[in-house]
Amino acid sequence: MSKPNSRSSFGRSAGRSTFGRRGGTVTVIEDRVSRSYARTAKVAFYVVSLVVGLLAATITASYLPPVAAVLLGVLIGVVVGLLVAAIVVAWPVLRVLWWWSPEIGVTLAAGYGWVLLATHTNLLARLLVLAVLVGVPASIPAVRKRIIAFAWCAVTRHRLRVCFNEFIITNRSGTLPLILWARPTPTGERVWAWLRPGLSLPELHSRLDKIAVTCWASAVTVEAASDSNAALVRIDVKRRTVLTGTIETPLLGLVDDGTPTAERVVRPVPTALDLPDVPASNATADPGPVGNGTRPKAAKPAKNGKEPAPEPAAKATGEDVSDWI
Amino acid sequence: MPTTAAPVSVPVGPNLSMFDPAFLGLDEFGAPVHIPLAYRRLLIAGEPDGGKSSLINTVMAHIALCRDARPVLFDGKLVELGPWEDSADEFVGPDMDHAITTLRRLQTVMNNRYAWLLAHGRRKVTAADGLKAIPSLFDEIALYATVLGTKAQQDEFITLFRDLVARGRAAAMPVIAATQRPSIDIIPKSLRDLFGYRAAFRCTSAGSSDIILGDNWSHAGFCATTIKPTMPGVCYLIAEGGVPALMKVAYLTDAHIATLADYAAWVRTGDRTNPHPAPAVLAA
Repeated sequence: MSKPNSRSSFGRSAGRSTFGRRGGTVTVIEDRVSRSYARTAKVAFYVVSLVVGLLAATITASYLPPVAAVLLGVLIGVVVGLLVAAIVVAWPVLRVLWWWSPEIGVTLAAGYGWVLLATHTNLLARLLVLAVLVGVPASIPAVRKRIIAFAWCAVTRHRLRVCFNEFIITNRSGTLPLILWARPTPTGERVWAWLRPGLSLPELHSRLDKIAVTCWASAVTVEAASDSNAALVRIDVKRRTVLTGTIETPLLGLVDDGTPTAERVVRPVPTALDLPDVPASNATADPGPVGNGTRPKAAKPAKNGKEPAPEPAAKATGEDVSDWI
Repeated sequence: MPTTAAPVSVPVGPNLSMFDPAFLGLDEFGAPVHIPLAYRRLLIAGEPDGGKSSLINTVMAHIALCRDARPVLFDGKLVELGPWEDSADEFVGPDMDHAITTLRRLQTVMNNRYAWLLAHGRRKVTAADGLKAIPSLFDEIALYATVLGTKAQQDEFITLFRDLVARGRAAAMPVIAATQRPSIDIIPKSLRDLFGYRAAFRCTSAGSSDIILGDNWSHAGFCATTIKPTMPGVCYLIAEGGVPALMKVAYLTDAHIATLADYAAWVRTGDRTNPHPAPAVLAA
């Protein structure tokens, strides 16, 4: 998949190819990852070929002579084994295609659509369609914001892949987590990822600041996205503050405007509102009771030194406890 | 002496219930945040001007408009929960004796409720029982735990408070407590850990944020220090999901509070167990 001694990741030039001295190479999959998948593919080929071959031979023996059944079983086993091995070997490439699937899809759709348009319409119609495609997002802010939000989703997926590639890989084979889908949120983007062996949620928590920097965001939080599978995580990339407005409670809508108000207690208004109004002789350590001086006394310690038992409410307040329940 | 005039018409209250989720605000994704109050214990903390009073007033507004709630209020500052006094069965100001007596009464009620549940072969109070929830709201819990009264009274207050927090759930006696920093000198850790719901407003250190939300949440990216001072009312809330969610609580102006409190007092006319004493005035 790559030239020997090349260590850089997909989409990045291994050497100073354009302006430098060395020849340019583009590494799709790193060597150690490629070797790991090749080893896994071999094992998968042998195991699948054996199991499928035996199974196929057993089944076909009911309809064919034994020798023909064995030969057919071997043939089916080899074919299925090769297919599985090919998928295993190609998985890193498939994963890269998955990462770039939005861009690939958009490019193909735009190219194919333009060709289709050019085949069936004249220049004026093509320009008209182009003007609509460009003009609608340009003139309608809601549409434009939505398109930009989805563009940021694509950007964030790639930045997260850079995070995993640059400073989060912890397993021996160097396999990357599978970054699943992303969707815009009012604060940024929410991305789901499937972690590979060797990585855990606490590992990501310890690198949140670096992830935020890499994603060009203000903050990042990572949470488990599944109660049953710790490998599925949800990454919230936050780049906007939205909690700025005032929120009103809907309870106000329950109040009838015409409802008469209950007569409230008219309280005496304090007059000592400045320090000189309160001489030192009146100051106490305890602010004192708010009530009218009829507060109940605190329980005194018993003579035997033990804490007194809580008195019944009826005795302390003069009312029946049963009124409370 | 009665505190209210005879009603001239039949008060009609909103059909809210303590057993229904209460609206608190919006999360950062624009979704409304509701939490059930009847069986939960909510701890609210954060630096001054963070928005604690908005949350406690929003919660209190829901409670005041519930047909099946008889709140008990503790407010050392008087002004946060004071407007709701006429909707409460008891309002405690900066009076340690009154606070302890009220907590003892609540303890007795709680014991009676559990005896009632046992007699009926039940394990917790439900909406169908006809019993009203008794939510206790504490603003500036530190005032009672560390400032007012003697050391023995403070210890007794914490003991009674712990009992209410620990056992109040099944008796439909939830606790909502607010303080600036629930460190160990204010609330023992064992008591703090009894609060399942936490709301952390802006903090000045990651340690303070972790004290409110729980260990290591700041390490996981949920740190109340990231809330800007220019964003009052924004907090991290740990509720049903178990993971802190950034949200902004609803804001009630003084006029809104007065409107709601007047209405709640009106629809509760005749529902009071005892008149409230008038406050003493410290004058020269």
